[in-house]
Amino acid sequence: MLLDKLTEQTGSKQWQPKIVAFFCNWCTYTAADLAGVSRIKHAPNIRVIRVMCSGRVDPQFILDAFSKGADGVLIGGCHPGDCHYQEGNYKCLRRFQMLKRVISSLGIESERLRLEWISASEGDKVRVVVNDMVAKIKQLGPLGLPVKYKEWAKEMHVLDSEIAGKEEVYA
Amino acid sequence: MIVELDAIRGVSLDTIYDSPEGKLIQTCIQCGTCSGTCPYGEYMEYPPRRIIKLLQHGLVDKVFDTDSMLKCVNCYACMMKCPREIHLTEVLLQLVKEQTVIKLPVVPPELQKALENNYRYGNPMGESGRKRANWVQTSSVPIRILSQNPEPVDVLWFVESYPAFHPRGQDTCRAIAKILNALGVDFAILGNEEKSAGECGLLSWESGLAEALVDYNMAIFSKYKFNRIITSDPHALDAFNFRYRMYGFKGSITHIVPFIIENIDKLKPMLHKTLGYSVTYHDSCCLGRHNGYYDEPRALLKAIPGIKLIEMVHNRINTLCCGGGGGGMWLDTYFKSQNMERLSDRRIKEAIDTGADVLAVACPYEIPRFEDALKVAGYDKKMVVRDIMELVSEAMED
Amino acid sequence: MSKTNGKIRIGFYICHCGTNIAGTVDVQKVVDYAATLPNVVVSKHYKYMCSDPGQEMIQKDIKEQELNRVVVAACSPFLHERTFRNATSQAGLNQFYFQMVNTREQNAWVHLDPEASTEKAMDLVRSAIKRVVFHKPLEQKTVPIKPDVLVVGGGIAGIHASLTLANAGKKVYLVERDPTIGGHMAMFDKTFPTLDCAACILTPKMSAVKNHPNITMWTYSEVESVEGYVGNFKVKVKRKPRYIIDDLCVGCLDCIEACVYKEPRFYDEFNQGLSKRKPVYMPFPQATPQLVVIDPDTCIWFKTGKCKQTCVESCERKAVDLNQQPAYKEIEVGTIIVATGFKPFDAGKVYYYGYGTYPNVYTALEVERLINASGPTSGEVIMRDGSTPKSIAIVHCVGSRDKNTNLWCSRVCCLYSLKLAHLLKEHTHADIYNFYIDIRTPGKLMDEFYTRMAEEGVKFIRGRVADIYPDTSDEEHRRLVVKAEDTLIREIIKVPVDMVVLSTGLVPRDDANDVRRLFNITCSTEGFFIERHPKLAPVNTFTDGIFLAGCCQGPKDIPDTVAQAGAAAAEALALIDLGYIELEPNTAFIVEEECSGCKSCVPLCPYSAISYNEEKRKANINEALCKGCGTCVASCPSGSIKQNLFEDEEIYSEIDGILNYEIYEEAVCC
Repeated sequence: MLLDKLTEQTGSKQWQPKIVAFFCNWCTYTAADLAGVSRIKHAPNIRVIRVMCSGRVDPQFILDAFSKGADGVLIGGCHPGDCHYQEGNYKCLRRFQMLKRVISSLGIESERLRLEWISASEGDKVRVVVNDMVAKIKQLGPLGLPVKYKEWAKEMHVLDSEIAGKEEVYA
Repeated sequence: MIVELDAIRGVSLDTIYDSPEGKLIQTCIQCGTCSGTCPYGEYMEYPPRRIIKLLQHGLVDKVFDTDSMLKCVNCYACMMKCPREIHLTEVLLQLVKEQTVIKLPVVPPELQKALENNYRYGNPMGESGRKRANWVQTSSVPIRILSQNPEPVDVLWFVESYPAFHPRGQDTCRAIAKILNALGVDFAILGNEEKSAGECGLLSWESGLAEALVDYNMAIFSKYKFNRIITSDPHALDAFNFRYRMYGFKGSITHIVPFIIENIDKLKPMLHKTLGYSVTYHDSCCLGRHNGYYDEPRALLKAIPGIKLIEMVHNRINTLCCGGGGGGMWLDTYFKSQNMERLSDRRIKEAIDTGADVLAVACPYEIPRFEDALKVAGYDKKMVVRDIMELVSEAMED
Repeated sequence: MSKTNGKIRIGFYICHCGTNIAGTVDVQKVVDYAATLPNVVVSKHYKYMCSDPGQEMIQKDIKEQELNRVVVAACSPFLHERTFRNATSQAGLNQFYFQMVNTREQNAWVHLDPEASTEKAMDLVRSAIKRVVFHKPLEQKTVPIKPDVLVVGGGIAGIHASLTLANAGKKVYLVERDPTIGGHMAMFDKTFPTLDCAACILTPKMSAVKNHPNITMWTYSEVESVEGYVGNFKVKVKRKPRYIIDDLCVGCLDCIEACVYKEPRFYDEFNQGLSKRKPVYMPFPQATPQLVVIDPDTCIWFKTGKCKQTCVESCERKAVDLNQQPAYKEIEVGTIIVATGFKPFDAGKVYYYGYGTYPNVYTALEVERLINASGPTSGEVIMRDGSTPKSIAIVHCVGSRDKNTNLWCSRVCCLYSLKLAHLLKEHTHADIYNFYIDIRTPGKLMDEFYTRMAEEGVKFIRGRVADIYPDTSDEEHRRLVVKAEDTLIREIIKVPVDMVVLSTGLVPRDDANDVRRLFNITCSTEGFFIERHPKLAPVNTFTDGIFLAGCCQGPKDIPDTVAQAGAAAAEALALIDLGYIELEPNTAFIVEEECSGCKSCVPLCPYSAISYNEEKRKANINEALCKGCGTCVASCPSGSIKQNLFEDEEIYSEIDGILNYEIYEEAVCC
């Protein structure tokens, strides 16, 4: 059912990417609030998860989001030198650079993962970043990993049964 | 500050409010800086501030019944001082000016003639296009003409009409050729193939003439291989940087002054003659105010041994236009008929007040305009007008 | 018999916020959708969830429906998370069984398409409903607050805040960078709209600060570092050497007299360079403290190592110490008030107004000194060329309301321009022309003041000055022409005047960014510090325990500055008198049985909260030191570190919820 739904979404012209965002409490989440207070309109495709610090963003969260159907993942933290917790954003940056390589080796386009430093006063930067990311991902099209997983699982299943069949023969 | 071309491509007065420029215009606080700084503001029935208000109220047509915008000399003063950064000179005033010229019962004959000449001969003076490269024969150094030798070249020098035809312009050209040669620059000109760039201010917006010249020059450019274009005419610089880009021009264009400054270390040892002039420099509107080259011309003058630089009252962003831009070059008679002071006359008084021997310029329009103004002021025995390139060339003499 | 029966029972509520949310998000649709989600037993919408009836509705449902989880979709958690947590706990449920969905700031206010907005709301609601299942009952920790306060900046804001706190019996450390307190206000002549003398109302407060037993005043000092958090800041202050021993100097000024420079010849900061001072100087007669200072940048001893040191000899009390070194003080305070002020806009940046080119173009602050009785000309308006002006142009909005310089209206310039118009007229009887774009005189008695100035014959010209240049018809070229469009009579006018006064705006200090980092507060792109909420938390910052006062937060006049300083003091007092603060329990802890003792978390913690227990071969987190960033949690290879409120399960369930990743099993209550 999920498969059908995703295929249907993908097939329709109205396909809208879904971006999971991890925003740090002190800078980027506040900036997103500021964008709201200032009524700075932007694309409705992001879904923000608040964390205290971008240093809390476990690489597994990102992989998990992709594997569960996110078309993009955005991480927002304080500018270098401005981290509320001194250096959590540097830790995040290191993980991000590593993860960039991992995801490209998995065949996920690097534009789908983005790290941005957005300070509490940069409400407009939220707009710029979100709109830009949405536009780029729209060009790339859906990632659709859950669909692919299903297909791969099916293939594996067929393969398995073929092997099983052969084994029977050999047995 | 310079407008984003994508934002205004194809914009007209009817559609301007749908463009980002329209949003800017709506933020006007009616402070009057534009009208106050306009060199001809007091002669306009509708100076820029009132045009904006009328536009906001949908009444801009009123402006076309007057000659207000014919008096705009494209000096960029209003635009560069506007606290809302409205692109007055680049966008709004051009559109109004175009309508003004279209709706005028009689276009001033001098201007009409210049437009026609540009169309028929590719230069506003009405000279034969076949004579455009004649000055080359008087050059002391060899100058390559691309049509004769179409090999790839590093620097394409776009000479432009005034330097190519006007005797004083030709003086500047010979100086430039000498300097480029001495610096070992691999350069060439288009020769008779070149036509006027179609100075953005005069030939406004989507007028057929501008487009014809743009198409023509772009086609010529595509025939040859070169890395960059230089020009001594700030108006051509503006045309290429602004209007041509709107039509897809992607080349690199530099004015001769910043170009020479790039090579200043190489040039300095060649400047061995001490000139001993006191010099005042006139900031050209296009080169200075619009493109921000304030320091480069001064740096070049200061590199010349013995030159003492004195500033006029109005300088840099506050420079006073010579009156030649935006078609003003061909409106002197018309302005006189309206009892308007010629701006070159106004400006020359400031130059004379400095007590300098030389009025240095970096725009080909300014030499004839200021030389004439000096004569009118009866001061032509005490002060001369020289292009910076002429001064550099003189300092290179033994 | 309990309805819960060990089951999760979630109450979901979405707020209309008038039409703020409901105008864009289809709340009915969200409610209907939420009702279909597992574990949801109540799903409602209401006009204002934060109102009493809204909160009571939640509390009633908790009791009657035996809810054990609450999700509210409303504004930003920064605004009302606390409100709803309180409501939850008052109904007898642990407050951390609550989760909030940001449906206003990050949804309804920033999107135009109702359908997309509603869909986004549904995604995030689903996400919260999945997340809240994993919430745990937590206890809020409290820590005691140190009662002492640090006030940074000794202008009128810092002075007023310090006195308020000190009068309430609190110990205050007032740190000022300059050799004296007083700030800009000390430089002003009179104050609008009452025209009382600035020094007369300020200097008593300055001496009160000096003499107050509860105030430790450190001038010529700067904050070097700030560590810790609300209630427990550790601050290091650098006391720059003034080359004078504080306790010995009596302010007799003999050393100034004795200086080898017989005449004053250096830029006098207090008089804006309109007069000169010596390298050893007293900033101004009422400087507080009454201590001279030696400026090493101009003193010949410090520049060349050669000097007869007549200043040292002249001091009977041996107070001059040319070998003085910086001293460092370490203090512990519970709260901090930042009142670092502004600087006037650099008038030279509007090139065409001729400041720095034409001697008779002045800034407003220079004129304040020029008309001040204790100023460089003893209050006579004598210009740099020695003449007294007969006509004066006052140019408003210099550096303000201009995209080329600063976008903001500096708020005080119109009024101080009117004040200067009055004072200049009083001193010189000159004709005065105010060139303005808009006259802005809000506030008590302010517009009345404007009317009075008009009555006094001050002329007003509506047009921004476009050009200022010397009048060539004036033989000596001293007179200046001010050119503008008088937009009301629609004429370009050229007004010849003897003097031009530039009403420069207020801009942030150059080092606003460094100060911001020092105190871990936020700063707009312009450089003014940002308050926590523009209306409801105007003196708070995003860092608890640090408050703002005065022009470092934005341009304002003296009454507003004083009001804000009082408010900042009151906020600090509220914390101090409570005696303790509640901390978010978002600290990290180690699940010992899973810790492999790899130590990779130990160096990651910037607060050294993680140690390694050699005996147990496990890591250990000191909860008192942990600030709850979660960096260690994300790095633990065995997943054995957890962060309260942000546990892995909670975040994974949020991801699941957002992406509607379905293998949703009804969770069983713990």
